[in-house]
Amino acid sequence: MSTNPEQLAKKLVARAKKMGAKQAEAFVQIGREATCRVRDGEIEHLTQATSKGVGLRVFVKNRLGFAFTSDFDASGLNAFVDRAIQLAEAAAPNPLNGLPKDDELGDFPDVGPLFDAEVASLAPDWKINAALAMEKVARSHDPRIKTIESVEAGETVGEIFLASSAGVTGASQGTSVYLYTAAVAEADGQLQNSWWYDARRFLKDLESPEHVATEAARRAVRMLGAKKVKSQQVPVVFDPMMAASFIGGIAGAVNGDSVFKKASFLADKLGATIAPPSVTIVDDGLMPKGLATSPFDGEGVPTRRSALIEQGVLKTFLYDAFTARKAKTRSTGNASRGYRSLPSIGTHNLFLEPGTITPEALIKDVPHGLYVTAMLGHGANLVTGEYSRGANGLWIENGELTRPVQEVTVAGNMLDMLQRIDAIANDLTFRGSVGAPTIRFAELTVSGE
Amino acid sequence: MSQAPLLPLSLVERLLSAAMERGAEFAEVYVERNENTAVVLDEKKVKSAQAGLSQGVGLRVIAGAKVGYAYSDDLEDEALFRAAHTAAFIAHGGGSEQSFKVSRTPLPTFYRLTDHLASIAVEKKRDLVVRANRAAHAYDKRIKQVMASYADSTKRVLVANTLGHLAEDTQDLCRISVMAVAEGKKGERRTGSFGGGGRVPFTHFDTFTPEHVAREAARMACATLGASDAIAGEQTVVLAPGWSGILLHEAVGHGLEADFIRKGTSLFAGKVGEKVASELVTVIDDGTMANARGSLNVDDEGTPAQFKVLIERGILKGYMYDSLNAKLMGKSSTGSGRRESFKHTPLPRMTNTYLAPGEDTPEDIIRGVDTGVYCANFGGGQVDITNGNFVFEVSEAYEIKKGKLAKPLKGVTLIGVGPVALKNVSRVGNDPMPDPGMGTCGKDGQGVPVGVGLPTVRIDKMTVGGTRVAGGKR
Repeated sequence: MSTNPEQLAKKLVARAKKMGAKQAEAFVQIGREATCRVRDGEIEHLTQATSKGVGLRVFVKNRLGFAFTSDFDASGLNAFVDRAIQLAEAAAPNPLNGLPKDDELGDFPDVGPLFDAEVASLAPDWKINAALAMEKVARSHDPRIKTIESVEAGETVGEIFLASSAGVTGASQGTSVYLYTAAVAEADGQLQNSWWYDARRFLKDLESPEHVATEAARRAVRMLGAKKVKSQQVPVVFDPMMAASFIGGIAGAVNGDSVFKKASFLADKLGATIAPPSVTIVDDGLMPKGLATSPFDGEGVPTRRSALIEQGVLKTFLYDAFTARKAKTRSTGNASRGYRSLPSIGTHNLFLEPGTITPEALIKDVPHGLYVTAMLGHGANLVTGEYSRGANGLWIENGELTRPVQEVTVAGNMLDMLQRIDAIANDLTFRGSVGAPTIRFAELTVSGE
Repeated sequence: MSQAPLLPLSLVERLLSAAMERGAEFAEVYVERNENTAVVLDEKKVKSAQAGLSQGVGLRVIAGAKVGYAYSDDLEDEALFRAAHTAAFIAHGGGSEQSFKVSRTPLPTFYRLTDHLASIAVEKKRDLVVRANRAAHAYDKRIKQVMASYADSTKRVLVANTLGHLAEDTQDLCRISVMAVAEGKKGERRTGSFGGGGRVPFTHFDTFTPEHVAREAARMACATLGASDAIAGEQTVVLAPGWSGILLHEAVGHGLEADFIRKGTSLFAGKVGEKVASELVTVIDDGTMANARGSLNVDDEGTPAQFKVLIERGILKGYMYDSLNAKLMGKSSTGSGRRESFKHTPLPRMTNTYLAPGEDTPEDIIRGVDTGVYCANFGGGQVDITNGNFVFEVSEAYEIKKGKLAKPLKGVTLIGVGPVALKNVSRVGNDPMPDPGMGTCGKDGQGVPVGVGLPTVRIDKMTVGGTRVAGGKR
């Protein structure tokens, strides 16, 4: 309504202090979304909505209480603050609790524009037409395309505000726009479903509806006739999307909290060479127009760009303020959150730096192996490093992609897998906030027959 | 129901009229007020106590197969009518001013708590995690880390539609979870987790004690220390009863949801009456189990929950329908229309899905396996409903040698194609067991609480993912 979110945040913090909190912080999120799905040339689903919420963190005698609400009605706000304070009494005191300290706070970096006025004012017709175009293109891509499971276009516009008794006030506004197609191909009684999507902050950076649809259809059709292969140890290539998901797993293992509890297979590897020199993994909160770019993190610490692994050497772990204090270090600006949750450690824009060879050249060197294009299951145990996931893809024979493969798993130990990366291509692409180029592992276990 | 409705019924009726202003066929108002509490314990300390309130209204308008949806977390009249007009936009007709009257449908009661979980003092909830932490550490000195949490929600819903139906329900749900990390020789670390709850009164934890949950998590962490790599390839597997029902959920459950059937994207589409599994296999989805995590008095479209036989002795009997897919397919809703919150439209979903018991004793089933893998506990799973490929991660597994459980195995993943795995079910135990109440199922970004269950089951020729290739060196 007419409530100014910045004033709301400040008011809550002031009230919490008045009611006995030593420190307090309010995090407000306001957003709207609109999506359009079509089916058989007609609109199937239109959604439009606005939403909002505020999360309040209070520290009372070193105890942490947290409450959130989507109700901004002034009459209930005092009771809301009182609830957070009352909850703190049920928690245990911990001298390490608290907001970020002065030496962790500071001026926010200039991260450039994150808000596209064109996205914010996107007409419903744009989404409807984009979705219709995707459906038409995907359908006509190949006669074996049986049906289009889903085509969707949409945008979000969001704002966050943070105010804390540590003196932080921050505001950030951003947009995103996306296209998604899932196509189903059929041949000889076998069905294959593949999807493709793109999401960007700015409309002009978005892949075209035609490209998204073609890619989804192409990926579905090429999987027709997929079969198991024999269990064996062979070179395995991950396409950029699968490589990105592997990199995401590695980033989970540099979480400072897991490291502190020795619940990460990288816990004792800081400063060690854990990968070939070609491997550099970067977490970048400042990346221009990045979907996860923000001037400050979930507790108001300025964000930064840091190499997690630089030329094969593990350089840093990621921390929020609380975990940093436990580990006797400083926050790295990696507190991630929504208004409904307490901050926890997460990444911003995460990517593996590209190499110089083309993906084709990377595959050309493989006599027999598996090119993985989709995976099932979570399968990465960050405590032990064990990795085992269901995989779909194409068999590589004499450097060429040949027949499709499904119902196999790819397994290894993540530490071992990092060391076995023996080629990185030059095709770094971002799908969402994690990006990677095509990568090759010298050898992994493929389980099938 | 002594409480006042979440929105005045006259306002609900006027919103329905507004939603029909462009001449749609159907409109629905869904109102939700969800209060939740959570307590988290980490590193032997109660880290935080949390509480939240989410409330909002979702308006759905249907014209043919077209759906308009709008939601608002602002409950002022102006915002709600704006949402109704937005949702109405999907229909093209002019429409005339219509008025609607709604009246309450009597509901079954598969759960009804006299003391709602939201009204229980947070200190009592805290005590559960404190006790769990103590018990896990006391179990074995190799336990080095314990994380315990308790979470509950008391969700009130109101669903009303232009057919005149009105349903109101209060859905309590709670769960305690414990994760323990054990440290063995040479710094080896293994985790174990366990938990449970349901739509149960808080007194449930008097018998399903935090100590029991904690010991089970700790036992699992210690039992898997020193585990060997699993051999990759096709093997006979035996699934322990209970939580392994996640196999059914992934391997067949999702493929029987009506939206995938209608769109022809499930490999089970058009197969009613056909044999899709071994005759030992009878699969049931039951939303009416007393106090179970997946149970519903009424689904999120106002339809009472049902007991449904999906597969009977290997023959596919039917699918799970929400009202929209049911209407488009000429069927009736099976009470399977569920949504995560007012921010989402309903989808056909599972409730409590389980495999009916067979005749073998669990001991006989294990005794009958010469070499194989016993899967005692599971992590998560995932399915591609189009090609039927599913995987699930086995968090506690043992080698079976000459009919006996032998050494623990690590890094085991099972992969298969749903109907193939079901045809390879060769023994079903007489020991049916529901899971303790800890599952959440995700679909299209919406999470809903579900139950699963299974007796001891033997499946032949299941592909086991591992790092060791039989006969190979490494």
